Amino acid sequence: MIHRYWKFFVPAIVVLGVLIVLLVNLSANLVYFRTPTELLNEIEPSEARLRLGGQVVEGSVLENGETLLLTVTDGRESTTVVHNGVVPQLFSEGQGVIVEGTWDGSAFHSDSMLIRHDEQYRTEDNVTYDSVEHKLEDS
Amino acid sequence: MSDATRSRLGPLDYAAVVAVLAALGYALASPRIESQGDAARMLFVHVPTIWLAYLAFAVTFIASIAYLVTNKLRWDHVAGASAEIGVVFTTVAIIGGMVWGKATWNVYWTWDARLTLTAIMLFVYVGYLALRRVIADPEVRARRSAVLGIIGLLQLIPVHFSVTWWRTLHQTNTFRPRDIQMDGPILAALLGSVAAFTVVYAALLRHRIRLEKLEHAARAAAAAPVGPVAGDAVTAPNVNRAGGQP
Repeated sequence: MIHRYWKFFVPAIVVLGVLIVLLVNLSANLVYFRTPTELLNEIEPSEARLRLGGQVVEGSVLENGETLLLTVTDGRESTTVVHNGVVPQLFSEGQGVIVEGTWDGSAFHSDSMLIRHDEQYRTEDNVTYDSVEHKLEDS
Repeated sequence: MSDATRSRLGPLDYAAVVAVLAALGYALASPRIESQGDAARMLFVHVPTIWLAYLAFAVTFIASIAYLVTNKLRWDHVAGASAEIGVVFTTVAIIGGMVWGKATWNVYWTWDARLTLTAIMLFVYVGYLALRRVIADPEVRARRSAVLGIIGLLQLIPVHFSVTWWRTLHQTNTFRPRDIQMDGPILAALLGSVAAFTVVYAALLRHRIRLEKLEHAARAAAAAPVGPVAGDAVTAPNVNRAGGQP
């Protein structure tokens, strides 16, 4: 009988422990990134690390040695980002990105960048389809 | 051995292999996905595997209800078998997602709501499988795991809608009601691989239910009173104990 209880409690404690770690992480990350609008209106400049997400403004990217300057927008407001770190392969103008770092009130200083792609899966022939067979319009 | 317990590959198994090979071949030949590179072809494995996980847990849910209503152990066998397949495919979906994530997002894992909730779902069902290994009495085990099998499915709602409810790194749902954000050729290839993986699920479920029955018979035989003749212990599986337990 004792043996049977151990067979239950050891896995139960392991599973519960893992679940607690996961839930703690979840609650800390429900809002995975902030937008430029929030950054400008709600967030005080500080040393606290946070993530900023948005689209890279076309024509805003400037490479200066190890530093990458870019502007990220959410369609309403935009923020200048000073990025010192790895630039992912899929980085391009117009692409969605999430950068991690600090906000000093005028620019966002990041050292880590993720690509955030959208939910659209389009073919490269620039044709819009309305079903499997029919091409809707050429764009 | 009866027909139901014989381990022979059937037409369903061959159909599953052929379907997956055909679907993945078709998917590789489908047009490239704009601005995401060839890594986005992970779509054709990632979506079908998480679909199978959803499907498997839904079958566990239905079989759990069916067990509580009918008290027939064969529903418990279906529930357990399906949950195990669901755990396998949740794991495959997470690993496939990590590979895709590294290629596209530039990170294997991060604690966004979709990823974290999917991991929670995996561990809850691992817990479900652990629970099934612990309780010896088939009736008690069936009842308790049925309760977990029913509650467990509720997680699918936050898992699926996490990308809409919260701000995540994971992109939002491509399939919205009456508005699919996917071009025809890619959609065709995706539906093909979803269908093919569903055949794999059916084949695996059939075999896993067979094993579950064998396990049940073996346990019943072991639990039967030890008589002087070995034959007694194997020919009297104590299946029908309805009413004997609280």
